[in-house]
Amino acid sequence: METKSRTLEITVLSAEDLRIDNKPVKKNAYVVVSVDPFNNKATKVDGEGGSYHSWNDKLVMEMPLQTRFITLLVKCKGSRGEKTVGLARIPVTDFVGGYSPATCLQFLSYRLRDPKGLKNGIINVSLRVKEPLQDCSSQAAAAGGGNAATIGLGIPIDGRRDHGMVTGIPIWTGYQSYSLF
Amino acid sequence: MGNCCSDVGGRMAAVGGTAAITGNQSDAVDMYLKSRGIHGILSQIELSFSATNLRDRDVFSKSDPMLVVYIKERDGAVIEVFRTEVVLNSLNPTWIKKYTIAYHFEVVQTLLFHVFDVDTQFLNIEVKMLKLEEQQSLGEASCALSEIVTKPNRSITLDLVRRVEFVSSTHSQHHGKLTVHAEECFSSRTTAEMILSCLDLESKDLFSKCDPFLVISKLVESGISIPVCKTEVLKNDHNPTWKPVFLNIQQVGSKDSPLVIECFNFNSNGKHDLIGKVQKSIADLEKIHSGREGENLFLPTLVRHDWENKILKSKLFVEKFSQTIQHTFLDYLAGGFELNFMVAIDFTASNGNPRLPDSLHYIDPSGRQNAYQKAIYEVGEVLQFYDTDKCFPAWGFGARPIDGPVSHCFNLNGSNNYCKVEGIRGIMMAYTSALFNVSLAGPTLFGHVINKAALIASQSLADEARKYFVLLIITDGVVTDLQETKDALVKASDLPLSILIVGVGGADFKEMEILDADKGERLESSTGRVASRDIVQFVPFRDVQGGEVSIVQALLAELPTQFLTYMRSRDIKPRI
Repeated sequence: METKSRTLEITVLSAEDLRIDNKPVKKNAYVVVSVDPFNNKATKVDGEGGSYHSWNDKLVMEMPLQTRFITLLVKCKGSRGEKTVGLARIPVTDFVGGYSPATCLQFLSYRLRDPKGLKNGIINVSLRVKEPLQDCSSQAAAAGGGNAATIGLGIPIDGRRDHGMVTGIPIWTGYQSYSLF
Repeated sequence: MGNCCSDVGGRMAAVGGTAAITGNQSDAVDMYLKSRGIHGILSQIELSFSATNLRDRDVFSKSDPMLVVYIKERDGAVIEVFRTEVVLNSLNPTWIKKYTIAYHFEVVQTLLFHVFDVDTQFLNIEVKMLKLEEQQSLGEASCALSEIVTKPNRSITLDLVRRVEFVSSTHSQHHGKLTVHAEECFSSRTTAEMILSCLDLESKDLFSKCDPFLVISKLVESGISIPVCKTEVLKNDHNPTWKPVFLNIQQVGSKDSPLVIECFNFNSNGKHDLIGKVQKSIADLEKIHSGREGENLFLPTLVRHDWENKILKSKLFVEKFSQTIQHTFLDYLAGGFELNFMVAIDFTASNGNPRLPDSLHYIDPSGRQNAYQKAIYEVGEVLQFYDTDKCFPAWGFGARPIDGPVSHCFNLNGSNNYCKVEGIRGIMMAYTSALFNVSLAGPTLFGHVINKAALIASQSLADEARKYFVLLIITDGVVTDLQETKDALVKASDLPLSILIVGVGGADFKEMEILDADKGERLESSTGRVASRDIVQFVPFRDVQGGEVSIVQALLAELPTQFLTYMRSRDIKPRI
């Protein structure tokens, strides 16, 4: 039976140096993840933030096989409504067909571009692709009858081999904070 | 007047404004911190000792053994550093007294152990007063500290040998075994993770905003502050929130130990302005977080020959406070993680004909090493101890093999399908052999060897092997495929891989420093992907050739940090 989509597990980890009109975005940022124009999900709003926004929101989405990019749109809720902070596009080829199997958890970071196309902050995500499913209708029927999802590969935690989802926050300390210990 | 006010240059000159932010922020901050005594990761190791089956020297009783520990300096000098107590009447002693040594990943720390039978007539004398030449040798042994800490149980058992001099030769006799066990000197791995912010920082410059960063120091009994942590520099921000900082509670003393948190305005010349500071313990910071109230900064001010603390309106906040268990680099080693060394050598024509003395690849008949050999040895001699099989991938790039096109990644050993050589000696032999079996060519491309190393690392990751790879690239020139190299590095940044680039010769290595994220912005690929972490370190090797402290050591010193950043970001824990 022909496979038409893949299950994508994407965890929106964090973002840094977000700015609107050259002013730091301190709070109320969130991310909309799109795998195609009609399929998107959003993270929670980061109410604390600061210059380092953290969500750690895991989103599970069905990604059509023909999808070439995943879009990450960072927005901010303010007193005057919502504003777009920036957008990043993840080529599917960055995590499918790369060094690591797509089913391995991968940590990726991307430069955001603001609505004018200028460089903005950086967004960090982790993601992996579950094994390809059968067509969507078959998947829906299977889901109705029970949990059809397979356990994907992951990085062992504490040496365990239960293939649990590993999440973490890539902490960029370009000034080598750790080296001071 | 109006023109003067609008003249940016004039304004900066008039008020002594800061220089523009450059890519040297990290250098300036690190230099500042090093001047205050912080030099990188330091772990204290406690060594304990026992022996079995010692030689029985006494006629009417068993031996009375004492162990003496020496360290071998870089220049070969042997220095006594420790003596145990004397254990009476025992051939299987367990000494109580323990020796503490600072662990430095970046150097080979050679330890020498000598067991003596203390003569009965000296048993009442303090051990430090004993003359070793008056005692009988029971045997000696040596190893590197890294050999001990890389053992799964952090113990090593060494054969004790006793050298007996004969007229024409030296023979060694085996006399028992010595066991050395290592433990890190703090039992607690509890780490406080905090996100700190400030509100309403006062700028020192009339016409510009702050570029603030924090330095956290612990106060010792003498009143001296020792920096333990620093944040990144934030540009033009009066209300900064820094990235999370981590403080190991045991290393700062305790949760109640006093800390000084200083907020500085960054200046690229390294002379940073103190904006204000607070003195709080970790427990105090936790309370500040819980209470959601800030703490006013203060600024020591000279008032009529006396220093007074001026309370500022600026405030420090703790946005986040949590306590987690953070495993150390040595924990991962004990858990079976390895560092696997790889090397890639520049064989481009710019190095000069290897047969000529002015070539960077010249093999001196006297045995003096060229720059490439020195770099290989200085890095390899350290890293070899962290690899169990000690078989290292070794590549060359930029040369034309016999009857072939230019290769930008060829096996040094001459094989078409196997890239490993045995030991550092194997690298050296393969290197000198390759020199006279290929034609130096060009251009200088890094992308191919980086991709090769990344492929090996990715296969290891997929196999769930506990390995972290270190690729040493030694080059004399400017990289030709800069963007392709950046792309390769960004792609590799998610893998268990670090890359050390050593520049030899007199070329301009400015472009190389772009690749070292310590000295610039995060690397970005042509598709907008950004390196998820910093995996590159670059140094020009010529700076300190012959110097007491090799600059390569500074290169190596960063590796545990890069390793830990990788492990922690993926929440990989050692199996202890």
